[in-house]
Amino acid sequence: MNLRDPASMNVVIGKVLRYGVLLSGLIIILGTVGLAFANGSSDTSGLLTYNPGSIPHDSIDTSPSGLLHGIITFAPFSWIELGVLVLIATPVSRVVVSVFLFASEQDRLYVLITAVVLALLLFSMLVTPSIPGFNT
Amino acid sequence: MFFFSIFAGIFGSIVGLGGGIVVIPVLTILFGVDIHFAIGASIVAIIGTSSGAASTYVRDKITNLRVGMFLELASASGAIVGAGIAAYTNSAALELVFGGILLISLVPMVMKIGEDVPKSPELKGLSKRLGLKGSYTETNGSQIDYNATRPVEGLAGTAVAGVLSGLLGIGGGAFKVLSMDIAMKLPLKVSTTTSNFMIGVTAAASAGIYFTRGDVDPLIVAPVALGILIGAAIGARVLLRSRNVTVRKVFTGVLAVAAVEMILRALGVPL
Repeated sequence: MNLRDPASMNVVIGKVLRYGVLLSGLIIILGTVGLAFANGSSDTSGLLTYNPGSIPHDSIDTSPSGLLHGIITFAPFSWIELGVLVLIATPVSRVVVSVFLFASEQDRLYVLITAVVLALLLFSMLVTPSIPGFNT
Repeated sequence: MFFFSIFAGIFGSIVGLGGGIVVIPVLTILFGVDIHFAIGASIVAIIGTSSGAASTYVRDKITNLRVGMFLELASASGAIVGAGIAAYTNSAALELVFGGILLISLVPMVMKIGEDVPKSPELKGLSKRLGLKGSYTETNGSQIDYNATRPVEGLAGTAVAGVLSGLLGIGGGAFKVLSMDIAMKLPLKVSTTTSNFMIGVTAAASAGIYFTRGDVDPLIVAPVALGILIGAAIGARVLLRSRNVTVRKVFTGVLAVAAVEMILRALGVPL
């Protein structure tokens, strides 16, 4: 594939987004099916009629170690969360891939623009949550 | 929840907004979900609408990647500023102001209601240096070539969109579409699909905080995410076949709803 052809840039970015979405959807389906079996029946109507009082939100551990433990032990909630993480990672990967695609086109201006966007994105995702006063 | 989310995905992917405008009120009012979990779910919904539909739009070259990347500079910095000043601002007053701006922006939108493809301006200055032009093919085979104009104004409008989404978690998409449509004079389908492309990045930027805070409830997010992804796939196919005139009518209607929703929220209605 000739990466200098602008059309192939669309193809690659389109694929990154499509595979990210498909992977995320599959993992969430897996978690949802697991949830139905964990409840002792294949009745998934509980998912359609959400009852806010029935869910022990505090029991969901979203810390990296808790999530990892849940994934290894096939906890359905953790798998759904994993699917959500894959979904969140999809646009981020798209930006990462764009930096390389513009680089292969030797488009320095857009390498710079995309790299700055990536830096802003990572700063906002990883740094700002730990700054007091942000997102309150 | 699943079926409403399909609906939200279809609409969101056509008009370039996140679908949060449908998801949040449906979850809070119809399902009695706490507003925090509703916002957490809507962030996931926005990313799903964006990535799900953008994969089709990008492949079919209707999204303008350069315009998107360039404007993301403004939306991403704006979102950080918005998140940083959120603690020091009165969100109700802000919602009232921005709801008002959206209402006012209905005027130029209604005046342009019959417009199909705008007369393309000459490519010059900064737009030329940035290569902010493009071309796409309608399903009937006609090729639409276009140039962008007033990139600085577009950047400013998108920065407002970014601040807004950082501050309030919503409303970014509407201002992005308006910036590209009114300031940069892009064809509306290019504006909505490029906005759709961008909102995923803006939402991902703030997703980390909602996730670690535990606002992303698996029981709510599973049906919402799956519904949104299916809806976005349907919506993307609908948009490709739609005329700019039709998209403009739908967008103007959704804009009116978004404006009213934001003003109601400012007045204390839990939407």
